[in-house]
Amino acid sequence: MIKKLSVIIYWAILIALLALFFTNDFGLTDIRKTSIIVAVGVDTQDGEVQVTAQLAVPQPSESGNNIQYTQVQGSGLTVADALNEINSKTGFYPKLLFCKLILIGEECQKDELFKVLSCFYRRNYSELTALVAMCQGRASDMLAMPATVNPETSSAILQVLSDELEKSANVSYANLKDIAETNYSKSAACYMPYIEANKPGTSESGGGDSIGGDPAGGSGSGGSSGSSGGGSGESSGGGSGGSQSEGSGSGSSDTGGGQEQVEFTARRTAFFSNGKFAGILDETQAFALDILKNSIRLAVLPFEVDGINYTLGMKNANGGIKLKVDKGVPRLTLSFKAKAQIQGKRMTLDPHDVPFDDTVKQSVLEGAKKEIEKRFSDLVKVCAETDCDLLGARNQLYKYNNKYFDAFNEDLLTRMEVKYEIDIQSIN
Amino acid sequence: MKICTRQICFIMLAYTVVSKILVYPTLLSSLCGRDLWFPALISFAVQAMVVWAVSYLCSRTDKTLFQLIEGTLGNICARIIYGLFGLFFILGTLMPLSEQKLYVHAIFYDTVPSLLVFLPFFFFSVYAASKKLTNIGRSADICLPIFVLSLVFIFIMSLMEVHWDNFLPALKTPVKTLFGSSLATTYLFFEPCWLLMFMGHFKYKKWDAAKITASYIGGGLIVLFFLFVFYGIYGEIAVSRQFAVSKISLFFPAIDMLGRIDLVALYILEIAMLFALVLNIQLAVHCFVKCTGWENRNALSVIVNGLLLAFIIIFDNKYNDLSIVFGKWMWIVFLLFATVIPLLGWTMKRRAK
Repeated sequence: MIKKLSVIIYWAILIALLALFFTNDFGLTDIRKTSIIVAVGVDTQDGEVQVTAQLAVPQPSESGNNIQYTQVQGSGLTVADALNEINSKTGFYPKLLFCKLILIGEECQKDELFKVLSCFYRRNYSELTALVAMCQGRASDMLAMPATVNPETSSAILQVLSDELEKSANVSYANLKDIAETNYSKSAACYMPYIEANKPGTSESGGGDSIGGDPAGGSGSGGSSGSSGGGSGESSGGGSGGSQSEGSGSGSSDTGGGQEQVEFTARRTAFFSNGKFAGILDETQAFALDILKNSIRLAVLPFEVDGINYTLGMKNANGGIKLKVDKGVPRLTLSFKAKAQIQGKRMTLDPHDVPFDDTVKQSVLEGAKKEIEKRFSDLVKVCAETDCDLLGARNQLYKYNNKYFDAFNEDLLTRMEVKYEIDIQSIN
Repeated sequence: MKICTRQICFIMLAYTVVSKILVYPTLLSSLCGRDLWFPALISFAVQAMVVWAVSYLCSRTDKTLFQLIEGTLGNICARIIYGLFGLFFILGTLMPLSEQKLYVHAIFYDTVPSLLVFLPFFFFSVYAASKKLTNIGRSADICLPIFVLSLVFIFIMSLMEVHWDNFLPALKTPVKTLFGSSLATTYLFFEPCWLLMFMGHFKYKKWDAAKITASYIGGGLIVLFFLFVFYGIYGEIAVSRQFAVSKISLFFPAIDMLGRIDLVALYILEIAMLFALVLNIQLAVHCFVKCTGWENRNALSVIVNGLLLAFIIIFDNKYNDLSIVFGKWMWIVFLLFATVIPLLGWTMKRRAK
């Protein structure tokens, strides 16, 4: 009898306890009370951090999905502080699990990068998969700009940071993990794409009419170092910014208070040494960095040979960086291999030539090699001038030539001999 | 016979792994960085030798550990030693239980990190611990396919992101630190004690000792591989990533499109983790039954779980302090029970003859 009773009591308690799971409506959330942070912009001003969150606000709709996007700002001494203010405005739990983009405003160049970003590395606050980029002007302004390619600004920015662009050496892809991993390595350097907003129709990155602030400057071969000049005007205030909507009902984008639509580009790269802003690589230097570091599917290289402009498509590209100490001299080898085909030639088209695009003349291949070598050497020069080990030479010295590390670490970037091994062959 | 060799092999393989992929990798990263594999290798090598010694001992006797001690030192001693083993199994459960609680909060209850949501575990635990050893074997049969499928899934999603040169230069950490790290994490190693408790409860056949030891080595190799993957992905920042198993698959490209599909594997793996966690509690109850001679497993299960529940309530939010205490002092206890006493089994057997 007691045994039977104990079984009944046991099951009763078990069922009662299971009922606890249902006390929160199965964890379901009323979408009318939800707003999810999909991107954040971080600016600093007067020792305070200003965070602008781009929120996705799901709208109940009978005709398919309908999401409205809006910006909300918060400020505080830390990013977490600012996010707390944002969440007090939105009524949603302060987690960033759906945040895909962290945009850092130009003002943050004055601060230590990982002081600004430290919150994102705290346990269980956000995952380290969110992309990180620095932007021209204030991040809050950029997130408020209506874009041409996508009604939602953060999605438009994410489009220019896409995986495809990374594989074509058009953008220096970086997420929270990448920048922390390289910054806390022996190289103590990291980089991230630099987002610029251009008026539609101006294809030149950085060269077009910039909106929202002064250009970061220094787009020559030497790059720029230090703070890149002025801010971008007033931020959009402490309240919520313009809203954009997407879905079956909207059809076209709301331009957010009559602002002109912009195109985003990320072909330049901001770089940091020991967590401090060190400069911005121009697009040729960024290209050189990308083909060395990223896995490239198809990179496009414009150059000139015998007065004719060519655009070469490079497939099966494989770049590499190796450092060896040979007879007491550190030697850095930058290698690049690819199969090339002509994609464009600034000449009147002769249809009979097209079948031979895969057979590239030796003189053109030599021109391509010279162009790549020039871009590599520009990049190495920037690294040496700013003492920023973007190529990971110190890391390689530490890992593969450890006994020389203490001897060469200090002045490695200026001391090392650099060798270029570039092998570009015609596809046919 | 209550349990068969196959089930013991499954336990030595799967439960060994699942009990060491939550906090162990992060802990080792913080203790000796890129050389984290070395203290793990030392620990597994030592434990594998003890596992072999105990499993080989099983080939020389049909008696249980209790009967061996009883035959050598008398019934009272056997009861006392089993009582101490019971306490040891409770002690061995404390840290894994706290880890599991934090893990469940972090992974399953994103926004409700309340103690209350973990408490239903004790109902499962009370039920499982009230069962006899036969059920431990059956649970292992269920857990192995779950464990293999989910872990393979997680590894596949993780391998692309591993930087194998994160481990260079190798073994630059001072020897004292390497061995010290192995000692500091000894509290996560108690597998020879499991085998000790199974002694006499399975029919030993030829090569069983080799099979059991090989299973344990297999488990150890999987853990080592896991450590390589984890540190290969995160490098210097590995120390900041708690609950390694839930962090290594995050960079799989499809997650961007489909969301956290890795959570499916993690949820499934959690089943194996719970059974592994409960094994110590089941064995604690088994020891207390032998110690007290009181066959009421239900009551003993409630008492043991009650103690653990009290512990969880008292030490809620004190995981870091506990981890320091266990790392600094508890290696003595674990070394004694999981290494020295299992080896002493050989001396007892000779005297029993």
